[in-house]
Amino acid sequence: MKIDQIKKEFPIFDEKIQNNDLVYLDSANSSQKPKIVVDRINEFYTKQFSNVGRSVHYLAVAATNLYENTRTSVQKYINAKDKNEIVFTKGATEALNLVANTLGQSYLQEGDEVLITELEHHSNYVPWHFLRKSKNIKINFAEINKECEITLEEIEKKITQKTKLISITHLSNVTGAILPVKEITQLAHSKGIIVVVDGCQGAPHLKLDMQELDCDFYAISCHKMYGPTGLGVLYGKKKWLEELPPYQGGGGMINEVKKDRISYGELPNKYEAGTMATAQVIAFDQSIKFLESIGIENVMKHESDLVEYGQELLQKNNSVKLIGNPKNKGGVLSFTIEGVHPHDIATILDEDGVAIRAGHHCCQILHDKLNIPASARASVGIYNTKEDLDQLNQSINNCKKIFNL
Amino acid sequence: MNLKELYQEIILEHGKNPRNLRKTEGFNKDAKGNNPLCGDNVHVYLKLNGQKIVEDASFEGSGCAISMASASIMTDLIKGKNEHEAKEIVEDFLGMIKENPELQSKYLSEDEKTKLMCLSGVKQYPMRVKCATLSWHTMVSAFDEKMEEVKTEN
Ligand SMILES: Cc1ncc(COP(=O)(O)O)c(C=O)c1O
Repeated sequence: MKIDQIKKEFPIFDEKIQNNDLVYLDSANSSQKPKIVVDRINEFYTKQFSNVGRSVHYLAVAATNLYENTRTSVQKYINAKDKNEIVFTKGATEALNLVANTLGQSYLQEGDEVLITELEHHSNYVPWHFLRKSKNIKINFAEINKECEITLEEIEKKITQKTKLISITHLSNVTGAILPVKEITQLAHSKGIIVVVDGCQGAPHLKLDMQELDCDFYAISCHKMYGPTGLGVLYGKKKWLEELPPYQGGGGMINEVKKDRISYGELPNKYEAGTMATAQVIAFDQSIKFLESIGIENVMKHESDLVEYGQELLQKNNSVKLIGNPKNKGGVLSFTIEGVHPHDIATILDEDGVAIRAGHHCCQILHDKLNIPASARASVGIYNTKEDLDQLNQSINNCKKIFNL
Repeated sequence: MNLKELYQEIILEHGKNPRNLRKTEGFNKDAKGNNPLCGDNVHVYLKLNGQKIVEDASFEGSGCAISMASASIMTDLIKGKNEHEAKEIVEDFLGMIKENPELQSKYLSEDEKTKLMCLSGVKQYPMRVKCATLSWHTMVSAFDEKMEEVKTEN
């Protein structure tokens, strides 16, 4: 696999960013877009545009088919049993809100417990907090160990008689820890507990097989998966999506509307109210094709080589402290430098064209636990090389120099 | 863009050894500020005497070099000023950080102006302006006895 070739498929790398070559290490935040995805959006708007599912004219039928093709591609890509288990949303955030909201309406009862982890992104905490407020459910937190992992044993320890649902990240966007989702699901199901997975960081970087994982819901963020913004996917087991009430009401999600009664549409329309992100859905098909053309095994191998290399570099760089040391780790390197605040690090690195993120990365619970207000995070994607990580290390050294360390 | 202008020696020095990083004993005005995007936070304490002059100013909190240095310099030079003077200095400072080439307040000595101008490099880094201004907005809030936390949007 030739990374230079793959990198050439991303037009952004032809740009000079403030006179620098771009060293993009912020893919956990959002990935860059390959040309085929960008072109597809343009092509759809210029040559094929119509709204989907509403009219019988030629363009509308063609657009509807394209839209549904992506659904089938996603189904295959994540090995879901049924095409109707794929729901498009505006992002993973909306997908998780949809799950929490509908389970809150019809399944979770006062006093029920939801188990999440200290690694969760705010979008896998706040929606459950809404239910804590409105339905009086309780939220428990599985705690990280020394290496910043969440183990199966810790989950088991935190399950009580009242635990109805476990909602966990597949891969931490801060520590890179990969959670044993399959094992956690087996355990949960043996106790009649539902499993929701925040797959934002898992989907772009790991092999996905819904039937093997067996979780009940899986949320995907398309913009982190070499796809367009404004789009997410919710995978939900058919029995749940059929049983749960709708989330938003409006056009497209109904069956029959009368003054005194309304019946709702079938899956997947039931959860896709209003005009959807049509162009994005259609272009996302190209993101999947792009990933398939490389092969997820190759993606995983490349990224784990990169992260291993980066980890070694940073471990050797004194005054850099890596956050967590999970055995099973994805392409995220979060760190602090003794004596330099993460925002200062990010500003200084930016001067060299090295784009990283600084802050709490929407994980305040974790940062509180680690007793740090913020961290710096470098995260990799398929287009990154070892040279990028060398540049990261060099810019970190420059940062230390500026701060007289 | 110029990192050297942003991270001048005096900023690094104040950032590393902030003055007045403590809680004023017997303070009679205080306010909290936070920068939700970065997680930076500051708590400003003021002690005004009978003549409404700032007898002591201090702060607690954590943040980047820019925000620590800014709070450090601010709490130093606000001592001995009354509320009116302090607020005029804040206006002057905010104006300088955003657009004005110079400080104009008659309440600032040349030496104080020189010190404050060290923060002017922030101008070229729009994302960092709020780091420099958080403690200043928070001080105004303390004077005004606003109860809610200050949140900076630049
Ligand atoms: C772990 C995790 N969960 C959820 C989200 C939110 O995803 P989206 O931007 O698609 O709403 C993100 C991305 O910021 C994330 O990293």
